[in-house]
Amino acid sequence: MQLERIIKECVQGNEGAWKMLVNSYSKKVFNLAYQFAGSYEEAEDLTQDIFFKLHHSIEKYDFEKNFSAWLLTLARNYLIDQYRKTKWEKKSRDEFNEHLLSADRRSGPEESAMIRESKKAVWRGFNHLSSEIRMAIILRDIQGKKYEEIAEIMDLPLGTIKSRVNRGRLQLAKILKETKEEENGM
Amino acid sequence: MGCERIEELLSPYLEDDLTQEQKRNVETHIHTCPGCAELLSLMRETKESLSLFPEVDVSENLIEKLYELPQKRKKFRFVADFLLRPSFQPIMAAATILLVFVSFYMFHPERSTINRSIERQFNIGFGKVEKLYAEAESITHTLGKYKDSLLVSIKNLKPFRGDKDEQTKT
Repeated sequence: MQLERIIKECVQGNEGAWKMLVNSYSKKVFNLAYQFAGSYEEAEDLTQDIFFKLHHSIEKYDFEKNFSAWLLTLARNYLIDQYRKTKWEKKSRDEFNEHLLSADRRSGPEESAMIRESKKAVWRGFNHLSSEIRMAIILRDIQGKKYEEIAEIMDLPLGTIKSRVNRGRLQLAKILKETKEEENGM
Repeated sequence: MGCERIEELLSPYLEDDLTQEQKRNVETHIHTCPGCAELLSLMRETKESLSLFPEVDVSENLIEKLYELPQKRKKFRFVADFLLRPSFQPIMAAATILLVFVSFYMFHPERSTINRSIERQFNIGFGKVEKLYAEAESITHTLGKYKDSLLVSIKNLKPFRGDKDEQTKT
């Protein structure tokens, strides 16, 4: 109810309502963009573009729908379009340490070196995943969303999403294996 | 069950999303297949690593930029309205046509042929102008030759010789 009022006020041009919307959803959109694109600077630009689109199309929002899923669909469509146009898969991702380790308040000396190395390898491995598989993995395994929610965001059948998540995990597992073999000098 | 079929079932196995029979099949297979057992362990590790990825904070600078987006959009709208107003449309249309011609010329695969043709047409035009100029010069020259007799003839015309006739009559 509260959200509905904020959205209606945004449509009417209320700046305070827009700021509330930014405060509530910027972190979610920024993290999705960062995990997908792998570059902090690029993610900042993408987040601005996505919010620009949101401001443009918020009057078309159907109040029957889940706003968060609707916004993530908008973000997902934009990210995948940009990925296809600019061929991000050929660009390198930020080093894992740069922003992720400083943000990780859970990781400390107690986090095993093995897990830390796996995280690095998986982060780099994202570059080898197709845009659709990458998006499914991010939504499922990083953001912990339910399959039904992912199917709604990606506008695909449940079975297709499950299959993409499985393929993504398999690809990343194989990349992890190769990384371990390289480290062990095999 | 072959390894490929088992690979398809590894994710649902990790998420406990298989029937009892499928679960048994996977477990029987991984007990006898070290490759699939290793893959399952790596998938588990991958899944765990992904779940430990932290949420990154958004910078204050970005938040400020996001706050200002509605004003930016207003400016953008103003520029768009200015450029799209009806009185601008003939100029836009003329500019578009010009651009079409320029791009046709610039990106034509046989641009050198077009250049040659333009040069030929230019030379023909220049030749015609030179010829006309020469003709005009010869007319001036010819007129110079007949200038004296022409002047006499003009003087002998009725309106100019009227006075003389009257004098001779008297």
